[in-house]
Amino acid sequence: MEFKQVVGNRRTIRFFDPNRPVEEEKIQVMLEAANRASRAVNADFAKAIVCYRDELSDEVREQMKTPTTTVQIDLAPVTIFWYGDTSFVNGAQGRLKELVDLGALPVTHGWTHGYVDDLVYPQVLEPLSKDQLAVTWAVSVETGLAIAQAMLAGVDEGLGVGLHAFNPAAVKDILKVPDHWVPMWILLVGYPAEDAKGGGQRPRRKLSDSFYRGQYGNPWTEIPEVTERLTSEGMIQEPMPADASQRMAEIKQLADRFGLPL
Amino acid sequence: MTDQQIESQASVKRWAASAGLSYDPEVQEAKLRILADFCAKVDKEPDELVAFCILRKKETGERFLSVKRRETINQWLEEFTTEQGWAAKQAVVNANVVRSFLIHNGVLIQGPVWRG
Repeated sequence: MEFKQVVGNRRTIRFFDPNRPVEEEKIQVMLEAANRASRAVNADFAKAIVCYRDELSDEVREQMKTPTTTVQIDLAPVTIFWYGDTSFVNGAQGRLKELVDLGALPVTHGWTHGYVDDLVYPQVLEPLSKDQLAVTWAVSVETGLAIAQAMLAGVDEGLGVGLHAFNPAAVKDILKVPDHWVPMWILLVGYPAEDAKGGGQRPRRKLSDSFYRGQYGNPWTEIPEVTERLTSEGMIQEPMPADASQRMAEIKQLADRFGLPL
Repeated sequence: MTDQQIESQASVKRWAASAGLSYDPEVQEAKLRILADFCAKVDKEPDELVAFCILRKKETGERFLSVKRRETINQWLEEFTTEQGWAAKQAVVNANVVRSFLIHNGVLIQGPVWRG
């Protein structure tokens, strides 16, 4: 699938086909996509534990639920638990020097082993590693990048995906999660039981509501030809119609199938 | 409670309007019967059942959904389905009728999914 089509096709799927297995090969594609994500200091911020639904007991799945993460946990054949590794500074000097040696961090931009040892590590990374807020910020952003790539790779493989909160205390011991991993999200994966397009793209505000040129307050001006091209290439798709009768009929059919409250 | 008494409860009116029950009288009757039987079992009227799940913080008076009480309702629902002799999908569907009533009254009680 073309990249723009993948971005355009992604939805948060909430009705998965519970009995259609997800191939481990496809999960590996998702993990590799995460592994290829941009990351500061070439650190492995993103950590994940892949669980097939039936490897978790009903009781544990119940405990994992939150007010916003409900039956989708029971329907999705695969749950990927995402964590951020707060020990990312460990080994950072060595990894940066490796990048210097490979030319990824070029001398033209000031990078040398000495720069790493004398400035970047002691003045940037070490202080950052001692600032809990900064660590949480860095880990969250960097892990988010990896999760996004995994999610899009899943869509590219024809899977449905959905990112949700979970109750990490319920699984910490079972999954043997180290103390220095910070819980992020769970990514539910499976083949959609609902329309893979979820009835249309979710409402989005126009670019100028969020993006600016030069300074805040000077909204980005859309170039109509680009918007038109992105529409023809599938990134921008039909939004969910205001008349939700078709979607509601689909939800009723899914509720009947799974015995859900309606 | 008779069907008429049940239907006169504010929480049931809210459920019927929000879930669109009135569009299908047969479905409405069947669902009301399940709710009425459940209410009889736990000796609470529908409005009381909703109120049972919502507590107020002593300090602020702020309303919140009680986790323990929702767990209690789930236990009652398990007993209820057993007593009714429901099994498999019927047990899931019928217990979720009561959960639907509660959901439309702002009380989410998570229940099982039928994956058969």
